[in-house]
Amino acid sequence: MFRIWLLFDPRRVLVALSIFLFVLAILIHFILLGTDRFNWLEGPHHGMVAQQMAPLPATGK
Amino acid sequence: MSDVTRRPASASGLTESEAKEFHSIFLTSFIAFTVIAIIAHFLVWQWRPWLPGVNGYQTSLMDSVALVKSMLA
Repeated sequence: MFRIWLLFDPRRVLVALSIFLFVLAILIHFILLGTDRFNWLEGPHHGMVAQQMAPLPATGK
Repeated sequence: MSDVTRRPASASGLTESEAKEFHSIFLTSFIAFTVIAIIAHFLVWQWRPWLPGVNGYQTSLMDSVALVKSMLA
């Protein structure tokens, strides 16, 4: 198995692997922050849609 | 000529012993990374499992609050 490093340059592999893992981690964290269930900073937004979709209060005529 | 005694170069330029040395470091780091990732996934699953059953997520987000309330009552 170690012969893989005779074929691939370890420096390039390490750089590529770290960039790949970092981008993947950032992507997954942002996706989770974008969900309602897994947002660990703001929590779920229950009733936000209902509030936004509610009709405006009637104006006096 | 010194070219005669020079070792045959691999595609990456490493010798076998260098490749073995790097491989042991790489393997140790990879296992450490994987163990940390498994611990993190275990903790997140405890917090909120990410695979809903056929009826969707059964536990409400208020369940933990209700549990604490029932323990206090």
